[in-house]
Amino acid sequence: MSEMAMRDIRSARAMTVSAADVAALKAQFPDAFGNMRQKLVTGTLWGVAIGYFLWSLWFFEFWKLFFFNERAARMFSEFFFWGPMGEWDYAGIYQGLAETIAMAFLGTLLGSVAALLIAFAAARNTMPRSLIRHTVRRFLDLLRGIDSLIWALVFVRAVGLGPLAGVLSIFVSDTGTLSKLYSEAIENVDRKQVEGVRATGASPIKTIRFAYLPQITPVFISLSLYSFESSVRSATILGIVGAGGIGKVLVDRFRAGFFDQVAFVVINILICVFVIDWLSGKVRAHFIGEKAH
Amino acid sequence: MAATQIATAGFVIEPGQDAVTVFEKHRAELMASRRLMNLGMAALFLVLLAISVYVSRFYPERLWNGAPRIFEYFGTVMPNLEIDKLFEARGANGKAVPGSILYWYSDFGKYMTLLFETVLMAITATMLGAGVAFLLSFPAARNLAPAHWINVLARRTTEVFRGVPEIIIALVLVFAVGIGPLAGVLAIAIHTAGALGKLFSEVNENASTRPVEGMRSVGGTWFDEMRFGIVPQVLPNFVSYTLLRFEINVRASSIVGFVGAGGIGQELNHTISFYNDDRVMAVLILVVLLVTVIDLVSERARTRLIGRENLI
Repeated sequence: MSEMAMRDIRSARAMTVSAADVAALKAQFPDAFGNMRQKLVTGTLWGVAIGYFLWSLWFFEFWKLFFFNERAARMFSEFFFWGPMGEWDYAGIYQGLAETIAMAFLGTLLGSVAALLIAFAAARNTMPRSLIRHTVRRFLDLLRGIDSLIWALVFVRAVGLGPLAGVLSIFVSDTGTLSKLYSEAIENVDRKQVEGVRATGASPIKTIRFAYLPQITPVFISLSLYSFESSVRSATILGIVGAGGIGKVLVDRFRAGFFDQVAFVVINILICVFVIDWLSGKVRAHFIGEKAH
Repeated sequence: MAATQIATAGFVIEPGQDAVTVFEKHRAELMASRRLMNLGMAALFLVLLAISVYVSRFYPERLWNGAPRIFEYFGTVMPNLEIDKLFEARGANGKAVPGSILYWYSDFGKYMTLLFETVLMAITATMLGAGVAFLLSFPAARNLAPAHWINVLARRTTEVFRGVPEIIIALVLVFAVGIGPLAGVLAIAIHTAGALGKLFSEVNENASTRPVEGMRSVGGTWFDEMRFGIVPQVLPNFVSYTLLRFEINVRASSIVGFVGAGGIGQELNHTISFYNDDRVMAVLILVVLLVTVIDLVSERARTRLIGRENLI
């Protein structure tokens, strides 16, 4: 029926489209032109969103943005126009950068080791007791739910200023993340190899060693490398709360008003993160090939 | 083609040789090279470990001395609740009874105000950031950019935006616009614009270009091509990514307060740095609860939105 109507319209007035045709088509295919109710709903949603946005700008005192003082202007200009670079404390800056990478490395390493043990208690196929499994999982949720910067603040309070607090905070948050990812990898192993090893009369430990580990090691290495990359990023800022690393260097320079050095440090962080990502990509490719993750 | 010559990746059996011997020899060679590789990797790893331990002064005795203090600290921040007084109301003099929940959360009103501010910061920052990311994502997509230099410029912009951590931008902006949530909102928005700009532009690159060609063939401008050719295809994905980013931004807005950029982080920093009591745990529990609830709600919304069309 509709096809015939279409053909009628086409043959009657081959090239020109009048208002009457549009009206006829609208009557025939009401949904193609958008129905009134949906338009109303989306319009209201957009109105609410824009209304909220404008209100929140007022709530956050947006006008302050246009009243920034001379100190701020000096800061922004010094970000781009650097003073004499000769007397900068490069040793301190690169020491901080090395400390950051060391913190991330040690934290991820310890986190991986801890996760290796915990993950088996959080995976469905290796921990049949649901009470233990759920307790472990909720505990891991708690570790992950608290940001590494908060952990750093807590550990600075507990063990004092310095990179030790940074290592511990990365260790705790990486344990939470990696245990979850590892346990998902364990749940995805091929059952056949497990059954094969178990059929030879192997003990649970030997089953894990010869049936699970060969399957999950490449995945674990890959996940740990990703975790290392992300830890380097988070380790750069832990110094803000006193947990060592480049963040402390940055905040010290910032508080002292050496804004050109702040810009230099930020550029160094960006380069460092980029190089770490690239290197870790190379290592990952070595262990598992280009495609697989 | 010789039937006795089997060529695989790496070894060839010449006519007259014993296949098993050749195979065993090749296997031994492979094992040896692999062992060498693994030993090299292990040595490199140990060297890195030693350097890391030295640089971060992570010596066993420091850890040994620190470990008891960690447990001690976690002991002090635990609330001391007493079962029999748990639900007791305020006393006649208007003071809460020590040991009751009311005493533990005596600053509950203040925490709630700050949590509310934290969520608002995350929402506004996500909207602002996603808006900028939306505008950047079309020139930043390799196959859609009107000119090469615009593409390069847009990509570099998103890289710089997402490369600098939020809290460092917040530090700078607190200096510029003063202490308060505005600095936090802008810092998170800038980072969001960078992160979402990259994701959005990747979605754009994967969109079908046929509608774009259609728009071009009827004489549409570049803006028409984007608006009617690309946007309807990619919008559901954009919304999904934005919601995911919102979850991340709630976490971020709860910590930018550490540098004075508003939200619950300010109170968290204050309680952890200046008090050694159960207030620390009171705030921490609220932060974890907030993050968990937001994650659950946003996950619901995402699963409902995925696959839906006609968002405009």
